[in-house]
Amino acid sequence: MSERYTILQMLLIVVGVMASTFITRSTLLVIGERWRFAPRVDAALRYAPVCALAALVVPELVFRQDVLALHWENPRLPAAVAAGLFLLWKHSIVGCIAVGMAVFTLWRLFVI
Amino acid sequence: MPLSDVTALRRQEFARGAKDILPAMPGAAAWGVVTGVAMVKSGLAVHWALAMSLTAYAGSAQLAVLPLLADASPVWLIAITALITNLRFVIYSAALRGWFTDYRRQRRLWLGYLTGDFVMVTFLNRVATEGAFVHRDAYFFGMSVANWVVWNVASIIGIAAAAYIPTHWGLEFAGVLALLALVVPMCRQRPALAGVVVASLVAVLGHGWPLRLGMVVGVIAGIVVATLLDGHLRKRAVATELTS
Repeated sequence: MSERYTILQMLLIVVGVMASTFITRSTLLVIGERWRFAPRVDAALRYAPVCALAALVVPELVFRQDVLALHWENPRLPAAVAAGLFLLWKHSIVGCIAVGMAVFTLWRLFVI
Repeated sequence: MPLSDVTALRRQEFARGAKDILPAMPGAAAWGVVTGVAMVKSGLAVHWALAMSLTAYAGSAQLAVLPLLADASPVWLIAITALITNLRFVIYSAALRGWFTDYRRQRRLWLGYLTGDFVMVTFLNRVATEGAFVHRDAYFFGMSVANWVVWNVASIIGIAAAAYIPTHWGLEFAGVLALLALVVPMCRQRPALAGVVVASLVAVLGHGWPLRLGMVVGVIAGIVVATLLDGHLRKRAVATELTS
């Protein structure tokens, strides 16, 4: 694939992706230390991280190759349910990952 | 306070940060390996895969640009796609901003660059209970540096071992599970739960939209609903207090 681009273009791509990291993560931290958000914005921001994470995670669970897969042949669904329940029970992230991966793998090998 | 004490305290916070982020690291490591594997399997030369891993530090953006690279898409489209995939970090940095305004600008630049999903949630959880504790920058760097090292070592392993790691193992799912483990405990408050439901629904409905805009619109919709419900619940709480 790299040969479809010149070395200069590949460099631009790498720099561009790095710039997207800096621009999105650092801009609001670096600019204008004197101004503050309006209280309403501050209040809204309390719910921003959890909404962002949900919008990232849930499509990962319900789509398989860009097709909505809300059925038992999608091993991610039972695995996520089991992992979520384990987390509520034991409050362990490592356990949540382990249970989820175990259910995912067993489901993939034996149920489907 | 003598300088050496300050250094010792900062080291302590740094070490505590590295320790606090540890539970999420299996997820970060699995995700790193998968990103490394995906980059090489999509045909990216090893040196470019390494360069991108070490500089971008953005798994979801790296994965999002791979199909575009394979299609020989124009450079600007690749940069824009990376930017939009990273948009959730604008929201994170907005939430972090108030806690770091006291620090020097260069430090804030690196604090921002090193922000990851796990780091942000763990940090906001701690300031939610302890407020603006001293040396929070050292704590943040402790988490970030640990996360950066784990992520990059895992990416390099993925790049090197791409041929031996089959995609049907679904290793990337471990990363999804680690993020799920962050979302679930945050859903205890009703406004957050409502926001999560709405953000997820809109993100799913808008999955086919160009430039991953479905996710962006979903986040905004979720925030609006959560904030409205929060305001409504507060008003009702005040009203019940007044009448009783």
